[in-house]
Amino acid sequence: MSDDPFEAIKATFFQECEELLGDLETNLIALESGDTDIETINACFRAVHSVKGGAGAFGLDDLVRFAHVFETLMDELRSGRKAVDEDVVQSLLRASDVLNDHVTAARGAGPAVDPDRSQALIAELETLTHGAPVSGTDADAAGDMDDDFGFTPVALSLDDFGAGEAMPLMDLPALDLPPLDLPSLDAPVVTGGEQTGWKIIFRPHPRLYANANETALLLRELGRLGPISVEMDDSGLPSLEALEPLDSHLVWTIHLDAPVAELDVRDVFDFVETDCDLSIMSVMAEGAGASVVSDSLPDLDDGLPSLDTGAAAEFDIAALVAMAQADTASRLGGGGETAPVAETPKSTAAPAPAAPPVAANNATAAAPAAASAATAPVTIRVELDRVDRLINAVGELVIQQAMLAQRVYESGLARSSDISLGLEDLELLTREIQDSVMAIRAQPVKSVFQRMPRLVREVAAMTGKKVKLVTAGEDTEVDKTVVERLSEPITHMLRNAIDHGLESPEEREAAGKPVEGTVKLAALHRSGRIVIEISDDGKGINRQRVRSIAEERGLVTPDQILSDDEVDNLIFLPGFSTAQEVTDVSGRGVGMDVVRRSIQSLGGRISISSNPGKGSIFTMSLPLTLAVLDGMVVGAADQTLVAPLAAIVESLTPKAEDIHLVGGVDPVLMFRDEFVPLVDVGQTMEFRNEPTELKGGVVMIVETEGGQRAGLLVDAIHGQRQVVIKSLETNYRHVEGVAAATILGDGRVALILDIDVLVNTGRRRTTSLAELKMAS
Amino acid sequence: MPAASAIRTLIVDDQLTMRALIRTSLQQIGVRDIEEAPDGEAALRAVITKPVHLVISDFNMPNLDGLGLLRGIRAHPPIAKTAFIMLTGRADRELVQRAVQYGVNNYLVKPFTTQQLKEKMESVFGPLT
Repeated sequence: MSDDPFEAIKATFFQECEELLGDLETNLIALESGDTDIETINACFRAVHSVKGGAGAFGLDDLVRFAHVFETLMDELRSGRKAVDEDVVQSLLRASDVLNDHVTAARGAGPAVDPDRSQALIAELETLTHGAPVSGTDADAAGDMDDDFGFTPVALSLDDFGAGEAMPLMDLPALDLPPLDLPSLDAPVVTGGEQTGWKIIFRPHPRLYANANETALLLRELGRLGPISVEMDDSGLPSLEALEPLDSHLVWTIHLDAPVAELDVRDVFDFVETDCDLSIMSVMAEGAGASVVSDSLPDLDDGLPSLDTGAAAEFDIAALVAMAQADTASRLGGGGETAPVAETPKSTAAPAPAAPPVAANNATAAAPAAASAATAPVTIRVELDRVDRLINAVGELVIQQAMLAQRVYESGLARSSDISLGLEDLELLTREIQDSVMAIRAQPVKSVFQRMPRLVREVAAMTGKKVKLVTAGEDTEVDKTVVERLSEPITHMLRNAIDHGLESPEEREAAGKPVEGTVKLAALHRSGRIVIEISDDGKGINRQRVRSIAEERGLVTPDQILSDDEVDNLIFLPGFSTAQEVTDVSGRGVGMDVVRRSIQSLGGRISISSNPGKGSIFTMSLPLTLAVLDGMVVGAADQTLVAPLAAIVESLTPKAEDIHLVGGVDPVLMFRDEFVPLVDVGQTMEFRNEPTELKGGVVMIVETEGGQRAGLLVDAIHGQRQVVIKSLETNYRHVEGVAAATILGDGRVALILDIDVLVNTGRRRTTSLAELKMAS
Repeated sequence: MPAASAIRTLIVDDQLTMRALIRTSLQQIGVRDIEEAPDGEAALRAVITKPVHLVISDFNMPNLDGLGLLRGIRAHPPIAKTAFIMLTGRADRELVQRAVQYGVNNYLVKPFTTQQLKEKMESVFGPLT
């Protein structure tokens, strides 16, 4: 990040833009579906307005110009001067797309927006706003109002703060404002009477005590300034059962009977000022009471302490907010007419006593709003780099913990020893830290899903099909890296679903289906993974066609017997493309095999199931994080390997009589009345040429993403462990059958097996059962 | 001449970017005591609990807009004289007129420079040191 504060803010701006544009899209979609609620329109307006505001600050002129025209139309809609109809919404959606592109271009993350496209849409929006495009630049886009308005600023003399004179308000009827109790900016101005001393109200916060400060010492210090009398208010002290010993319950009122300087009084509280509510009032000779010169006491009622002022203040605030909101609402609802000028100032002038009746009416209305504000989670923005450093460190911690555990185990310490027990606690704690850290990186898939309606619109327009996109599970959370890399496969599959899956409106009508096709995009958590489903109600997969193409390209042989699902999944094979001709939309040379590969690189799987005439469902399943894995540590040909635990169904020691040959070549294992293909890991991974000794060997029954079962033959199983995933591609290169690498407790590097690849290559490579040296 | 550093200021804007920009400008002017609020309602609650000398507020915000905030402040005697500078995104005569009725001290059209902000503040407080 740059040191220039301006650059840093600019980065924040683009981040914020992304959120704003997401909100805009969401609200426009709501508009499209008929929700023309004023708040929805307002939210759209605000989003565009905010983008424009920020863009103006950074001199992003193209963006400002476009956003301005967009905003003007939104303003017309907001005020009710223009009705929201289908045409308008479609234009707004298109405008939102162009606005998006402008932002991307401004950020330098994309090409400059085609000026013609931008200008055409500006004309379109202006036509909707004014009935015709506006020639030339709109004068008020960046205009300054000072000249037009003859506005006279209302000056305040800060020295007069508290003097109680009404504020001059141009030539409008002056508001009958009551006196102010705001602090003067200069030295305390004491009006009327001679000051004889100070009244100090002091309410320590728990933090004051936590910081090792002590009321008694402060009082003693005050006593040095002059004679003091101290009152302690313990009315806030709860009953003994309810007492929270670390809380602060007492309030002190100190009368200092000496006309010392305020600064001297303040000095006493110098170190605790932020850890207490403090009110310092001067006491006048006439006994006119105290006038507040300090402002850190939150009490509203003349600085008189009582422990329930908090609640009272809350009530007042709620009433005030409700009143201000009610007024705002009536103003916003006013449509195009001008506001009743004469009426509002009157109610403005109504002093505080008028508030309680308003409160009675509006407090209930304000309460839910206040509650929602209170429950909104507090967030901070953190540079991703810092989070990743933390994650990396936690990864190392996990490894260290495992290594330590291993050393302790090897040292022969009893399991009941203090060290072993302590290590167990450490392991639990490490896990907890790891989970929490992973949760920091977790993000809802919403950010990806939000971009899809635009894509669907574009593809629908290009193919001439009518499509409705339904999304579900946007709040499903998954690691940020996974979220980012979901965009491409989802985009591709959505394109595919619309282009190949859905029929044309005519075909749909003929088939008795609604003319508008539905594509559903859903995310859900399933057994520790995230599942993304993309389904359509189109024609489904034409299996005969798929089969004949696959045969044509030599992907399958004519005599191969394939289940329906197997035929459907042929489309993922490299070099397969069913599009009759290459279309603009999905036939860009990127086949489903590329989609599958990009998902596999995330440790994910994809499959399809199709119902002819009814539609297809693509299912992607991905790990929630790319950082850790629960694995089974196994040995094969002197190598230590890790198999993902999620894939393992069972492990067993095979008996010779359970192993059979299919067609005299492929070894299979009889497992629960079912034959599963047997894969010799040591040989398949080419760690050794000769087959594994079956004697003493262990078979792990694994299940691939596609539900296919196989037995992995290894030498030994060492145990279950959580491992930190280190990319092999980043550190070395891709190796067939290996998903990633990890560092084990003893410091050795172990490869993590890619079960699906292993099972598929293993079946091809393990040549003959005859080569397996059978246990005798 | 009031010292800029003595002016306790509350920035009210629903956009993080704008708040950061205003804060940077204020700091350049010499204002040290700066609070932020994301909308009118939060701002109103904040100024009632802890009064400020100056509120610089956006107009268009969720929950409670700038006019509502101004109105709420002016209606509550203990804080009614808080200086209020309204930010507007565009030249909206009607809005400014309304704000004047409610007792706005000055307004500032976005985008603005630090110098412009300073001038607006000085029109309210007098020359700042």
